[in-house]
Amino acid sequence: MRNTLLISWSAWLILLAAAAANGQEKKLDPAGVELFEKHIRPVLVEKCYSCHSKSAEMLEGGLELDSSMGLIRGGESGPIVDLENVDSSLLLRMLRHEEDVEKMPPEEKLDDEVIRAFEKWVSMGLPDPRDKSAPTTKELQEEERLQHWAFLPPKITPPPTVKNADWPRSAIDSFILAKIEAKGLQPVADASRATLVRRLYFDLIGLPPSPQQVKLFVEDPAPDAVAKLVDHLLASPRYGERWGRHWLDVVRYAESSGREFNFTYPHAWPYRDYVVDAFNADKSYDRFVCEQIAGDLLPDEPYGSAEDREARLVATSMLSFGTKRHNSGGMAYRMEIVDDQIDVTCRAILGITVACAKCHDHKFDPIPTKDYYALAGIFLSTEPLYGTIRQKYSNNPTELIPIGPNAAEMHAAAEEYEKIIDGVKKPWDAKKAELTKAEEAKKAAEKKKTDAEKAVAEAKEGDAAPAEALKKVVAELAAANSQIAKFKAEATPLEAAVKELEKSRPPRPPYAMSARDRANPADTKVAVRGDINQPGDVAPRGFLVAFSTPDVPAIDPKQSGRLQLAKWMTSQHNPLPARVVVNRIWHHLFGRGIVESVDNFGLMGTMPSHPKLLDTLAVEFMQDGWSIKRTIRKIVLSRTYQLSCATNEKNQNVDPENRLLWCATPRRLPVEIIRDAILAVSGQLDIKPPTGSPVTALGDQMVRGIDVKKLQPPSNHRSIYLPVVRDYAPDMFDRFDFPSSSLVSGKRAVTNVPSQALFLRNSEFVTQQANHAARRLLADKAAADDAARVDLAMRWAFSRAPTDEERQDALKLLEPILKAKAEIKDRDASAWATLFQSLFATAEFRYLVDIKSP
Amino acid sequence: MNCDSTKPNMSRREWLKLGSCGFGSVALAGMTANQSHAGPQTPRMPHFAPKAKRMIFLFMNGGPSQQDLLDYKPRLYQDGGKTGQNKQTLLSPLWDFTQHGESGLWISELLPHLAKQADRLCVINSMQTDSRAHPLAIPQLHTGSFQFVRPSLGAWVLYGLGSPNQNLPGYVTVKPTRTFGGPSNYGNAFLPSAYQATRVGWEGRPVKDATIKHLTSTEVVPGVAKGILDFTQSMNRRLLQRSGQNPDVQGVIDSLSLSSNMQKSIPQVMDLAKESKETLDLYGIGGELTDDFGRQCLMARQLVEAGVRFVELANSGWDQHSSLDTTLPKRCKEVDQPIAALLIDLERRGLLDDTLVFWGGEFGRQPETQILSGKVALGRDHNAKGYTIWMAGGGVRGGLAYGSTDELGYEAVVDKVHLHDLHATMLHLLGLDHKRLTYRYGGRDFRLTDIHGEVVKDIIA
Repeated sequence: MRNTLLISWSAWLILLAAAAANGQEKKLDPAGVELFEKHIRPVLVEKCYSCHSKSAEMLEGGLELDSSMGLIRGGESGPIVDLENVDSSLLLRMLRHEEDVEKMPPEEKLDDEVIRAFEKWVSMGLPDPRDKSAPTTKELQEEERLQHWAFLPPKITPPPTVKNADWPRSAIDSFILAKIEAKGLQPVADASRATLVRRLYFDLIGLPPSPQQVKLFVEDPAPDAVAKLVDHLLASPRYGERWGRHWLDVVRYAESSGREFNFTYPHAWPYRDYVVDAFNADKSYDRFVCEQIAGDLLPDEPYGSAEDREARLVATSMLSFGTKRHNSGGMAYRMEIVDDQIDVTCRAILGITVACAKCHDHKFDPIPTKDYYALAGIFLSTEPLYGTIRQKYSNNPTELIPIGPNAAEMHAAAEEYEKIIDGVKKPWDAKKAELTKAEEAKKAAEKKKTDAEKAVAEAKEGDAAPAEALKKVVAELAAANSQIAKFKAEATPLEAAVKELEKSRPPRPPYAMSARDRANPADTKVAVRGDINQPGDVAPRGFLVAFSTPDVPAIDPKQSGRLQLAKWMTSQHNPLPARVVVNRIWHHLFGRGIVESVDNFGLMGTMPSHPKLLDTLAVEFMQDGWSIKRTIRKIVLSRTYQLSCATNEKNQNVDPENRLLWCATPRRLPVEIIRDAILAVSGQLDIKPPTGSPVTALGDQMVRGIDVKKLQPPSNHRSIYLPVVRDYAPDMFDRFDFPSSSLVSGKRAVTNVPSQALFLRNSEFVTQQANHAARRLLADKAAADDAARVDLAMRWAFSRAPTDEERQDALKLLEPILKAKAEIKDRDASAWATLFQSLFATAEFRYLVDIKSP
Repeated sequence: MNCDSTKPNMSRREWLKLGSCGFGSVALAGMTANQSHAGPQTPRMPHFAPKAKRMIFLFMNGGPSQQDLLDYKPRLYQDGGKTGQNKQTLLSPLWDFTQHGESGLWISELLPHLAKQADRLCVINSMQTDSRAHPLAIPQLHTGSFQFVRPSLGAWVLYGLGSPNQNLPGYVTVKPTRTFGGPSNYGNAFLPSAYQATRVGWEGRPVKDATIKHLTSTEVVPGVAKGILDFTQSMNRRLLQRSGQNPDVQGVIDSLSLSSNMQKSIPQVMDLAKESKETLDLYGIGGELTDDFGRQCLMARQLVEAGVRFVELANSGWDQHSSLDTTLPKRCKEVDQPIAALLIDLERRGLLDDTLVFWGGEFGRQPETQILSGKVALGRDHNAKGYTIWMAGGGVRGGLAYGSTDELGYEAVVDKVHLHDLHATMLHLLGLDHKRLTYRYGGRDFRLTDIHGEVVKDIIA
């Protein structure tokens, strides 16, 4: 029935097209026109237009009835009229309020007479005198949507002229100052060197500067001291550990599958290292994105080394570590993975939500359902490789890829060895099965023997049969016993052999997730209303039609199309990717994006505060080789970034939220950086990146069975290296706004809640680190007396010396402990630990604020 | 409601004017604490006058057998032994039902204590949910969805309303399960993490030994906690001055004082010693089977009384595929007296009228006998098409049996209530319009009920 609908619909379109091409419309039957004008149009206007016309607030069901084209085209679930089977037309069935369809109008059923008029009208072939050349509501909407700022190509604008021409240090500053001046305001004073050095260290590498580093910078007389520091920090391997984490948030990186079963992903961590390395190497962003979508399909040129090739395969893990429902299977399972892949790639890279188009044309953005399935075809033709093993609730294990030096050989050797073990295991298993059988026989014989003995005892005199039977049973039992002995004797050496073999398994290489094309890439069909059991038209594999790019080759039908998708997503002509990533960088450096809704540049997103600046930065970013480091450098060297946090009543009144960026907003450090800073102060930070992840050792199992402590074993590594097990983030992370690792999040919440204070004041972690910091302080020869120790402690914690008042207060806190007569274990260390505990809990420790002097 | 969750849309005074009763002194102290900074938990105006101001959610993990507890099926007694529509043998309820209270509600002999509360119960016999598998149904009960990671009901409520007492967590979950979604059943998903539940204990461990983390100080030197805090706060106040009254610094100052208050209040609130022997006995604390859930129920009362907005308690083992005859009575013994005590205690403290109490599992069970590994087992399989829950207090009609399943209890047939409808109704009772309680994430406004949910008006008093 659907087929006939489709045929009749296409037939209609062809007919119309033909008519239009001929420049002459089929002459309308006057009786039909009269019917339409008298009985149809008034009803449409009165009963339908409020939801299905230009005047509708929201076009319901994607159906427009104020044009003949719209009426013929139908709504989200397809055509509503079937000229070959008039009676089964959806339109008529809805009007008749039939059982299994949506009833229209929903509130009241039309009079039978009216319905009969509609039936007649449809049977006449929908005579409709309305102008067919005028654009329909949908077409108008599409046109309007395509004019949305973020869907137009970004352009470079020369920086505006400003009154205070001395102020700008760069184009960024001119764009910012022009808007500030337009409101009759002026920016506040520049940040002090002491403020700046702390800000730059935390923003670029996520660690506090040591007192020496502060001194070095503050006293550096060179005019390019800031640029030198910035370059130094961007070159540090710590930079990738800071900025890579932002990307991990966006791609919902995690080491378990989440959802209702939550299996570990022991081999997700190589992706984390890939991201850190990519940031450190300043891999061009377009390349970085392409590798994650289609690393397995990229040619070797120009990066042909074995490491490069392996990195590209690991990069595609991004398609594989999403949440999964391992217990399900078949098409539903595959489609859920595809939904997740479409969601994460489109939001992370393009800043648009395509997910809505799964069930209906996007309500706000120019994304029809067909586009969704064009993308789905690409991902359905892709096999995500995420590992796991077959076990209860896990029905869909996949392969992984071996990585590292000699990976292939080691993997092959390990697999070969498993075969040898299996070779011995098989006869052992067979013996065990025989043994079990014999033991069962013995049990049965024993029972028979008891019964037989009973029968003998109860036998009538002269009845020899029971005794005979008993004899037989005894023999049976003896036979069973000897069988058991025999099988045991045979099984024992086999068992020993297996155990022996298992003892000397060759080492396996590390493994990683990845993705690859399936054997038979194919287009998929639109699932009507998102229901895979209701296939509609075939959607040829492709991209979002609203953003067509001339430089992307057609999809090779023998491939999934990911390679072309990656090229399209990072095309110079795609208006979104550069804007989105530049805005992400801006967001992290200012605490707010130029577009505040960092993951949504669609019509539901927020408008940019400085559109021309964003566009200029985006175009320059592309022209400058998609370099994230150079963009960060450009921004942090602007005068705008280097403003102080000073306030100013006039500015405050006009722009209380500082959208104009007339000052720097004090920013709360992310949880990873608060933790890293505590470890840095305590001297316990293990700066060497760890190998792998503790999750690897846990093996393939359901997280719920694992002791919570084992999920987060003690670690002094930087926070980016802590295991990210879905739903089991470290305590501190849960309290300090670490985002859900099941969801895409480019922007974290920033809250101040008592559970954070309780953590900083009472957790074992902070207490221990305070103790370590105290010992480190007492061991420091540079601080000879208590006052000097207070100074040094504050320099470690805040990158500045205390004021006299603060020093006195600190000494007052310490005095009773240091002078206590009572027995206190490790008195001095304990005293100084209390000071550190106190410092760790301050606002200044976790916010980037102004520092007057170092 | 917009997504700027940190801005309250009413003042504390307005909230107080709305009226509240029954709070202890600790609660009042919390509500009048000098808070100049609005935190995520600051009370917010509901959409309309609420019938309930707080909620206790009693989760019976596994799917209680309605035919043996609250959905009286005379026909099933008669037809036991015959072949049912799913080709298994119909299993007669193993226990007798009698009518209770003025309302004459039918309740099984397994729930003698609850039966005495019949006139307070609003029993919905026509519940339906979308999955008959625990792994999906449990997340759906808690978050409205099993397809996506979504905020839990309690997180939505806390986001929508804040919590009356800033000295206590606004959302507490006691002994949650680690299975089937685990922590995401009380998680915040895309809402700010301040809306996730504070956890007390884990499933399978006695609540007696459970604590809230980081409540007790681990100070290196005894007795200096106050000194440490004072010094921190003096540093903060200086920064506040220096930074032109920066609201974030004020936020840190407030959160620190609140943390101190919390340290004082929580042990005071969750203190068994201040309860009379009569109360402890009422809840069955000390009883062999009732001790654990009795403690949980008393804890729930203590917490809501002191101004916690949402408390969830859990009891596991309601998945009677077999041994129905022994394990169901045991489960009932564990919770029956404590739950009845909770209702009585809330009532006599004047709290029941505006506390919504929910009881139920993720689904219910079949009228037919379970076949396990080819053998007949004395048990029932899952049923998502018809099951029973009840609510009490908080604006629901007591003594009501709403909706019904068919004669045998296969499927809801009259006045069906889908889980989305139940969620919509719960929010409604709390003064929240489920269509307006939204949060923008990834370019779309999300809500607990997605695009579904009708408030079940007929059960509202």
